[in-house]
Amino acid sequence: MKNIAFGQYYPARSPLHALDARMKVILAILYIVCTFLCKNVFCFGALLASALLLVLCSRVPLRIILRSLRPVLFILLFTAVLNVFLTGGETELFGFWRLHVYVEGVYHAAFMMVRIVVLILTTSLFLTYTTTPIALTDAIESLLTPLRWLHVPVHEFAMMMTIALRFIPTLTEETYKIMSAQKARGVDFSHGGLIRRARALIPILIPLVVSSFRRADELAMAMECRCYRGGKGRTKMTVPHLHVYDLFALLLVVAFGAGIVWLNRQGYGYTMPR
Amino acid sequence: MATVALDHVTYIYGAGTPYEIKALDDVSLTVKSGTITGIIGHTGSGKSTMVQLLNGLEKPLSGKILLDGEDIWAKPKEMQKIRFRVGLVMQYPEYQLFEETVRADIAFGPKNMGLSDEEIEARVKDAAAFVGLDETLLNVSPFDLSGGQKRRAAIAGVMAMRPEVLVLDEPAAGLDPRGRDGILAGIRNYAAATGSTVIVVSHSMEDMAAFCDEIIVLAHAKVFLSGTRDEVFSHADALSSVGLDVPQITHLMSALRRRGLDVPEGIYTVEAAKEALRPLLE
Amino acid sequence: MKKMENRTNPENFIHAADLRCSYRDENGNRQEILHGVSFDVARGEYVAILGHNGSGKSTLAKLINGILEPDGGTLVVAGKDLASPDVTDDDIYELRRQVGMVFQNPDNQLVATLVEEDVAFGPENLGVPTAEIRQRVDAALATVGMTDYARHEPHRLSGGQKQRVAIAGILAMEPSCMILDEATAMLDPAGRREVLSTVERLNREKGITLITITHYMNEAAHADRVIVLNDGKILLEGTPAEVFAEPEKLMAAGLDVPQCTALVHGLRASGAALEGEPVTIEECADLICRAWEEKRHGDRRA
Repeated sequence: MKNIAFGQYYPARSPLHALDARMKVILAILYIVCTFLCKNVFCFGALLASALLLVLCSRVPLRIILRSLRPVLFILLFTAVLNVFLTGGETELFGFWRLHVYVEGVYHAAFMMVRIVVLILTTSLFLTYTTTPIALTDAIESLLTPLRWLHVPVHEFAMMMTIALRFIPTLTEETYKIMSAQKARGVDFSHGGLIRRARALIPILIPLVVSSFRRADELAMAMECRCYRGGKGRTKMTVPHLHVYDLFALLLVVAFGAGIVWLNRQGYGYTMPR
Repeated sequence: MATVALDHVTYIYGAGTPYEIKALDDVSLTVKSGTITGIIGHTGSGKSTMVQLLNGLEKPLSGKILLDGEDIWAKPKEMQKIRFRVGLVMQYPEYQLFEETVRADIAFGPKNMGLSDEEIEARVKDAAAFVGLDETLLNVSPFDLSGGQKRRAAIAGVMAMRPEVLVLDEPAAGLDPRGRDGILAGIRNYAAATGSTVIVVSHSMEDMAAFCDEIIVLAHAKVFLSGTRDEVFSHADALSSVGLDVPQITHLMSALRRRGLDVPEGIYTVEAAKEALRPLLE
Repeated sequence: MKKMENRTNPENFIHAADLRCSYRDENGNRQEILHGVSFDVARGEYVAILGHNGSGKSTLAKLINGILEPDGGTLVVAGKDLASPDVTDDDIYELRRQVGMVFQNPDNQLVATLVEEDVAFGPENLGVPTAEIRQRVDAALATVGMTDYARHEPHRLSGGQKQRVAIAGILAMEPSCMILDEATAMLDPAGRREVLSTVERLNREKGITLITITHYMNEAAHADRVIVLNDGKILLEGTPAEVFAEPEKLMAAGLDVPQCTALVHGLRASGAALEGEPVTIEECADLICRAWEEKRHGDRRA
């Protein structure tokens, strides 16, 4: 409960940390595109290598990064098994009963795994490990600013994000406290059928909702007292500037994408179907 | 009546993470049966951890929590029974209120114990009487009560379970003097009427000086001092040295000693100070 | 009680006369909380407002900050008449720039996920230029002694530290007055000292008008002036010494009497010759010591 390791900022000085948050959002999107461009073994090899290079650049310990992969391990293995058995092909490796494993299936499964791992690795590297939640929120707000012309409340959404991020730990702690208090009054969360367990949640949820409303009320008052009037006329302490360095990183990733496209044309071994 | 004891208990928060904190370090102590015992310590001294250990909300890393000489973790499946015997009132307990009426909320614990309706009703009334909650308030929503009343209702909810040991974490936190006095009186009523052992955790030395029979002082995850309140408060300087606020009057007595007046150590109430000073001034 | 010189000077930072405030309960009936309260606060003054829960002290704070509207009487804060019907939103906005509030629950007033971002929140709302926000935030954090925590997450701080961040957040808006609405009620003794010594220093060194609202008697000892509210009316007003001299009234208002005061009054009642009203422990010790020495000299002469 108290251990939300998934997607937490890792403070360090690294080339990745130094990048502008907006640029990191763009790079993350480009990287996602790249993973879907990959079709053959060269591409996926290059993709995996580049991801590992990014890990090295980020100075985030591999141990911590691997921990973020743990929750998806099951999905990873499940898709791998499905792909191994369900992908048809020409060269059969072995088969038993009604299951046949083809070389293509093994390739396909491996490619899918690399794709998922790289997807998670790069997005979490760009967006969570090397970017503070607030920088990310600001970046998204900044990137979405053009939508303001369409009357999309961009600032309000960003503010909501920030407040949510701020209160997640507080409310987690509170949930834990209320659970302890109700346990002390004899609530049993671990026994009984589904209905009984669901009922046991009522004494947790009601106090939590009541307290959240109270917090929201008090926070709104505190914000108003600090002259908050929405996004109008607001300035920022940190105004991000794009540096040559950021553009260089962009160039690098675009070049990488172009490289992938070129590698796709080098027919070798198994190529993923469209 | 029941005796609570800790036998070489160690507890570490977030063991194995970078935020690892040793909350209790090989602590052994016995709380005398039928007394009101205060556990005092500054924030982070391990007192809140101890509260959660006493009724099995947390498990010690090593050592035993003994209730009448038996390890409460001997049969983890029967922990619920232990929790009915050792009642816990957490900090700011009013945040646990959830039922539609005060009556239903106080009855929640006894209901979980599987008691009969008549028994529950009798206990609800008794508990409300202990904390001085008017019977007319039993039918209103707990969310319509004032802050002090909410606190009383929440404490009554645990008292209605008639625990042999009642543990309260900062029961008077944030209340004004009137509210505080009301809550402390309610706890005293419960102890007197049921003969239960009461353990109160607090950092307010002045409240504890006026309220407890026995005092255990925790500092740096260990028992720093323990004994009757007279014994503990006679070590005023030692208490100050671990960052505890001794009562103002104790500070005054030290200040007078520094100025050459012959006043004894260990004075913590206005009455005792008056007795000590009268012969010097009249 | 001694009349303060600033009693009804219109130049005062706060001028309240016959101030009334009420709210509508759930049955739609008006419940008056403040029944005609009059007081003034001079610029740079340190005033403690004491009272039990429900005495109207928090209502008073909310009036001064424009969170609540008065129902009657006069309330002029920083030259703005808040009781007049043509108070605009911009007036309230300007008022809040000048009068900062620190609330009771430290968790529910920090907005951002990093300490320095939170301190920047106020100046950002005011539209302060970027470079200047940085300067203000750094200065404010240094003033409250939280520079080392600038890039920490608020939820990992202690209660006292959170409140100091909240104070820095207000300081960065460069206010002329700060109101602490029971800002120490949820803190432990160490946290309480941390917060009080911080704001008292701001009052002394920067001349920021300070209003603390509390039910802890001991916290009023350093104030220039104490106002005791009871059931929506002013019960006592004066220097801490003057107010502490009325232990019966304080007790009747549901407040504690500081132990030193209780002792001095108790000794006096049993015939000890103690002159004056000590407020701090040292003053009290001096007073008792003087009486003791006089008695010794008297004994020797006799």
